Amino acid sequence: MKTLISFELRKLFSRRLTQAALLAVLLLSILFTSSTYRNMYAFDGKSRDGSGREAVEIDRSIAEKYAGILTDEKVQQMMSDFAPESSLDLHGMNAAYLYHNATQSAAFRRFSDLNGRWNGLTVSDVFGDEVIRIGYINGWLETSQNMTVIFLVLSLVIITMIAPVFSGEYSGVDQILLTTRYGRTRCAAAKVLAGILAALSVTAVVSATQFFPALLLYGSDGLRCSILFAPAGFLDGFIPFNLTCGTLFAYQILLIFTGAVSVSGITFLVSAASKSPMTALAVSAAAYLLPALLPVSETSSLFRYLTLLPVYHVQFVSLMSIEQISGGILYALWAVPVSLTFLGIGSLASSRIYAKHQVK
Amino acid sequence: MELKIIRLTKTFDSKNAVDDLMLTLSNGVYGLLGANGAGKTTLMRLLCGLQRPTSGKITLNGKNITGLGERYQSLLGYLPQHFGYYPDFTAYEFLLYISALKGLSDTAAKKKSAALLEAVGLAAERKHKIKTFSGGMKQRLGIAQAMLNDPRILILDEPTAGLDPKERVRFRNLISAFARDRIVILSTHIVSDVEYIAEDIILMKSGQIIHFGKPQEITAELNGQVWEFAVPAAQAERYAAAFDTSNLRHTDSGKTVLRVIADRPPAAHAIQVPPNLEDLYLFYSREAAGQSTMLTQRFRGAADQADMLTQKLTHKSEDDADQQHPFRTIRSRTEMERKINDHTNCNRIMNHEGGIKE
Repeated sequence: MKTLISFELRKLFSRRLTQAALLAVLLLSILFTSSTYRNMYAFDGKSRDGSGREAVEIDRSIAEKYAGILTDEKVQQMMSDFAPESSLDLHGMNAAYLYHNATQSAAFRRFSDLNGRWNGLTVSDVFGDEVIRIGYINGWLETSQNMTVIFLVLSLVIITMIAPVFSGEYSGVDQILLTTRYGRTRCAAAKVLAGILAALSVTAVVSATQFFPALLLYGSDGLRCSILFAPAGFLDGFIPFNLTCGTLFAYQILLIFTGAVSVSGITFLVSAASKSPMTALAVSAAAYLLPALLPVSETSSLFRYLTLLPVYHVQFVSLMSIEQISGGILYALWAVPVSLTFLGIGSLASSRIYAKHQVK
Repeated sequence: MELKIIRLTKTFDSKNAVDDLMLTLSNGVYGLLGANGAGKTTLMRLLCGLQRPTSGKITLNGKNITGLGERYQSLLGYLPQHFGYYPDFTAYEFLLYISALKGLSDTAAKKKSAALLEAVGLAAERKHKIKTFSGGMKQRLGIAQAMLNDPRILILDEPTAGLDPKERVRFRNLISAFARDRIVILSTHIVSDVEYIAEDIILMKSGQIIHFGKPQEITAELNGQVWEFAVPAAQAERYAAAFDTSNLRHTDSGKTVLRVIADRPPAAHAIQVPPNLEDLYLFYSREAAGQSTMLTQRFRGAADQADMLTQKLTHKSEDDADQQHPFRTIRSRTEMERKINDHTNCNRIMNHEGGIKE
């Protein structure tokens, strides 16, 4: 069986289209990381500003000043430190949208009025009983946002890679394969195992190209901090739970893998039933992406079920926004049995279709 | 070992590709002949389990092959007529892969793959990617993969297609050495390959078996009906169209020697020769293709061939504006022969081997 799986892997990775697609997604990942890093901007409110590495250093040094549990004293200190010197600084805008640096943005978002003065709210007013650990999380949250795009593309790459697993054989090799001893049994199993192994491998590699550079560039301190004290424009508005950045990442990585598993299951099934790899690719991609276009709002009772479809595993914010199951366990964990169901149905049905395939 | 085909039918869109076939095959080499569309490939696919019969069954030693599953497949070797391959695999990798599917151990796979690459003359190209191979090389690789598991039932669909004469000889020798105590079924349009290798011939037409037996037995049907004669090269085409011509050979003297099938001498100087398998195959192939309606009738004994030829040519002469052609004014068989003789200015004696003596 190991020999068969290794040959199936060889077939999967030897296709030019797959190689090009994998190279493209790796380049996209590197491009996103580098451009995000280079485009970061921070101003300490006094004299120092910069972009890229300088911006990260400014943000981290400011965050370190307030690092730890968020208290009312720290809030007051921030409001004082970041107060606009004159109303001209705001150019008539709401101070909550003013961005000098990540900590200032996070503080103003919750504790400032229109003019950048304290709005009178305490930490418990804003966060209730939650204990909010703050620190530098900006870089990690940027990385998380990038990953939603990169892994959406990776899902399509996985479809491209797996679409020919069965359908590619129907162009003539099937006549040889299906007359061999294991052609209708172990061959199909090897294809499924190799396909899922390949999908998980490329997901792991691309995840690594996001996680490790982020660790190098932004440090690990932020992983222990709450996502609720995020700068404006990040996830806190959508994921209203006091998760650490590390937990968020763990969920996101888990959902990326469940997405890869689910999309593999769908593609196996479509591949076995399609006559050509191109048909399999188009149908699988449509089946994967179309649920994202359905007009179902968050208030609909269908929303929680819709978000369990694979495209929402990768676009994880919607799935993560649904209430907890209990004891801090998020609803998003349902993605695990759902993905295994997709894989189970996909692999069993595809193996059966392939085993019963008749050469035309 | 006995492979039995029992009332086997395969229907595609209401057309019977294989039609109520009955056949029993035991160890030996069987040549499957028939025109395109005769049902050869469908029969082979049914034997390989690649297609399910519409009705009927195939049994191996009394057991339906459908129920035998892997036990049947492990006895089988199959070379399809047109098969796909993995362009980025080397020849050796491809054989190792198929070996794994056939259940060979790694050691056995390596040994057998190397031996077969040597046997089909691809040892030097074992590390070359298949995408760099010519059609003949791919065909030889296909033959090698079919034999990896030392199959007890070897089914080869057009195995010599694309092979040059030297490769064909190599293939014949390979099969002859391999065939002992096995069932080997091969189809080809190159009749001489079958004549050399096959002990029995299965001749198919319209999904049915119309002849089954030793080559000399089934060609006996044409005894006394195969003729050779020479005509001027300019008239050879006309003769070839009028008769069921199995061979046409130009000579240095400007004449063309025709080998035709007819139940009466097609020309006064025509010499009767022993029929071969090619004559039989061609006769049925042309008949199936509708190229010789007149001869179909002749073969059925429904009309006198020479008279029909006369009628045909006369009819053509009435329709054809070109009245200058020598055939256009022929009114009877005798007259036709005289005309032919006049035009060939034939002073030659043909021997029974078809050679020409001046």
